[in-house]
Amino acid sequence: MIQLGAPALRQAFAALLLAICFLSTPVAAQTFPELSGRVVDQAGLLEPASEAALTDRLAALEAETGDQLVVVTLDTLQDYEIEDYGYRLGRAWGIGQSENNSGVLLIVAPNERKVRIEVGYGLEPILTDAFASHVIQTQMLPAFRDGEFQSGIVAGSDSIMAQLRLDPVEAAARAAEVAAQPARPDFPFGAGIIVALVFGFVLIGLIRASSAGGKRRRGRVSPVLVWAAADMLNHATRSGSRSSGSIFRGGGSGFSGGGGSFGGGGASGGW
Amino acid sequence: MVRLNARQAGIAAVVVMLPAMAGCGYNTIPTQQERAEAAWADVQSQYQRRADLIPNLVATVQGAAIAERTTLTQVIEARARATSIQVSPDTLSDPAAFEQFQAAQGQLTSALSRLLVSVEAYPQLQANQNFVQLQAQLEGTENRIAIARRDYNEAVRAYNTTLRTFPSVIWAKTAHSGSQPMQLFNATTEAQTAPSVTFNLGPAQPGGAAPTVTPGSAPTAQ
Repeated sequence: MIQLGAPALRQAFAALLLAICFLSTPVAAQTFPELSGRVVDQAGLLEPASEAALTDRLAALEAETGDQLVVVTLDTLQDYEIEDYGYRLGRAWGIGQSENNSGVLLIVAPNERKVRIEVGYGLEPILTDAFASHVIQTQMLPAFRDGEFQSGIVAGSDSIMAQLRLDPVEAAARAAEVAAQPARPDFPFGAGIIVALVFGFVLIGLIRASSAGGKRRRGRVSPVLVWAAADMLNHATRSGSRSSGSIFRGGGSGFSGGGGSFGGGGASGGW
Repeated sequence: MVRLNARQAGIAAVVVMLPAMAGCGYNTIPTQQERAEAAWADVQSQYQRRADLIPNLVATVQGAAIAERTTLTQVIEARARATSIQVSPDTLSDPAAFEQFQAAQGQLTSALSRLLVSVEAYPQLQANQNFVQLQAQLEGTENRIAIARRDYNEAVRAYNTTLRTFPSVIWAKTAHSGSQPMQLFNATTEAQTAPSVTFNLGPAQPGGAAPTVTPGSAPTAQ
């Protein structure tokens, strides 16, 4: 009976495991829309023409100040509070430069009737909570209440861009800070030196062993050193690829975040 | 020749041992401890930020001649209590000290939210630009506190896990035996229950139109 039922049992067990996996994933994993550009219009609130115009202005802002402002409209907040969703989205996308966390998200969730300006760590002194709240209350919510999403979004993002450019000296300093940051070498030089030393020892050992004609010695010492060198190389390449992963800024043509982080600055509103 | 080989073997042993120790999690415990302590510093600075905003808020509310004396006093007292309790990174593993800190900050949170809800009934305060700004700053600070607490919990959970899982548990019992698990924030009873507010709009209340205003139900007011 057990033999008869065993495959069925196993299948049932596998199905149960799968079911548990599927049941548990919605709780654990939060999905975010793809970062398709500087304007991610998931909810379809913007005309293509004004979306393109806005994208150009956002790109000009980054070229000028180094700050990344991304406009997002969302179909659903997946039952999260917009404050909760916003900083996670910002961190997931890595909006803003990793050097100074200069990212801003303008999030509009028309179905939940919520709007939020999420400000990265580095811009909190410039885009204060009070300023963000003021922009939402005066520039965005009145338009949103009339269903004029496009004009509200454009007015809101224009106010944010104006504030980021307000002090040209400060904005230029921010841009310079990002530009001055030298591209970190992908290859860790410290590990490289050790690897070179180990290879040197191996080489010396090999030369000495072969000149002495001692097969036994070469057979005993070298493998240890070769193994150590291999281990070092392994470590070096692993850490090297990891650090290059955080520096690499997406594909050639598309837009991607610079690795900035968020800590809950900004303000929200509802209508 | 033999001497040289012994030295070579010694160097090789050191070269092999260092990454091997790192690979076995010798560095994991101090790294994650530092991360958790940094997250704690962030939590404290966000709480401090809130405490710094309160005197301004109290002054603004008092300046508007609001008759919410008990609510205001509660906020002032809760702030004094909360700022007097500090938890240094060394005492993060002390449940009693952590519990005290959390309780004091939780009382301040609930006193503040009671105040903010009760002053919604005063239109003269809602029209005060200074108050509106303060309110936005307070909301932002509460949000930052929530995120800082969550980040701290995540860092501590990772740290506490390394203290109990293989292979880092070996180091936790030997070389890093001084490392103790840190305390986590948990949702307090104050946080789980919405603040209950009784509007004491007695005869002494000058704002006659106030009782008709229901908080948050007038979208055309702005």
